[in-house]
Amino acid sequence: MSALPLAAGEAQVHLTSQTRIVAAVLAIFFMLLILDLIRRDRLQERYSVIWFVAGLGMLAGAAFPGLLELVAEAMGVRNTNVALFSIVLLLLLGLALNFSVIMSRQAAQITRLAQERAIEKALAEKQAGEARNGGSAGEQTLEPKKESL
Amino acid sequence: MRTLVFIPAWNEEASIAEVIADVREAIPGADLLVVDDGSADATAERAREAGAIVASLPFNQGLGAALQTGYLYALRNGYDACAHLDADGQHPAEEVARLLAEVTADRADLVIGSRYHAGAVSGTGDYRPTFSRKIGISVFRFFLTLATRQRFTDTTSGMRAANRRVMSLFSQHYSPDFAEIESLQLAVRQGLRVEELPVRMLERAGGTSFLTPVRSAFFIFKGLVVLLVGQFRPRQAEAER
Repeated sequence: MSALPLAAGEAQVHLTSQTRIVAAVLAIFFMLLILDLIRRDRLQERYSVIWFVAGLGMLAGAAFPGLLELVAEAMGVRNTNVALFSIVLLLLLGLALNFSVIMSRQAAQITRLAQERAIEKALAEKQAGEARNGGSAGEQTLEPKKESL
Repeated sequence: MRTLVFIPAWNEEASIAEVIADVREAIPGADLLVVDDGSADATAERAREAGAIVASLPFNQGLGAALQTGYLYALRNGYDACAHLDADGQHPAEEVARLLAEVTADRADLVIGSRYHAGAVSGTGDYRPTFSRKIGISVFRFFLTLATRQRFTDTTSGMRAANRRVMSLFSQHYSPDFAEIESLQLAVRQGLRVEELPVRMLERAGGTSFLTPVRSAFFIFKGLVVLLVGQFRPRQAEAER
């Protein structure tokens, strides 16, 4: 992946101005896409923050390549490309985990909703059955009626 | 003493009416609820015709969610005791009545009907497990016993009776994937009295078990992960009810 033709011993990889422009354009396009998705109610704001931050990060990396080199140095990685890939990979891993957590919560909520609805309908059905069988006097019976088949 | 017997059912139109009739005869004082877990067939209609109350989940949610629906219904409607059994006719209702007797006599909070308990084998044990099933059974038995420090022989039994303490616990926490095993672990960890009773069970009337060797292995692996994670769940002080 990062096996770029770089001279052995060279510490830094310098982004060419061409890649910087492409990265910046992509970042801006990405952030516009997020904004548009929010605007059209396709994406909720609370889930968009993380993507917006990712877009800003891309933009910052394109605008100030020195930033990436600083990070690479802090990580103890000699090759900036490796640092970049590692960061992106970790970010995606975190996002995927975040989505699993959200998914689990929503699955639990859906289950509870289904259960509540099932119980409510069952109770309504039971009451309707009792009213049919017991008539007006059935109002006072404490024990649910055991109807015969 | 108000008692609810509930039956989780998923596409069991062939056997549900018979099971309901069996329960009515063996446990005449109990109310009957069928939890229809999003069946595509006429399970709900058959159950209604047989005189049961039916709680239909709008889509299939799995056995755990269906059982939890039953516990929640029992808790909300003020039942003192509840029991559940499988809808496929493997569980004789007279055995369920024996489990319920243990709960109403307050000898245990949760009673499990065991196919493999020593007492079940002598004379009454009609149930013969297959080889791959035997392996799974002994693995779960070993690890659940290790985790709970209590001996269990039938960890996946779907025939149980419970009181209100169990209802309030299970209506809050019930794993959708590994309902039987994790719920036992949870109940023991919460300090509830869990007891096994040897029961007689019948062979499956129709259909085959879903377990192929590969699936069995995956099932066992998943179960072990669930058990391991369960050991790290917090022990909550049981809310008084």
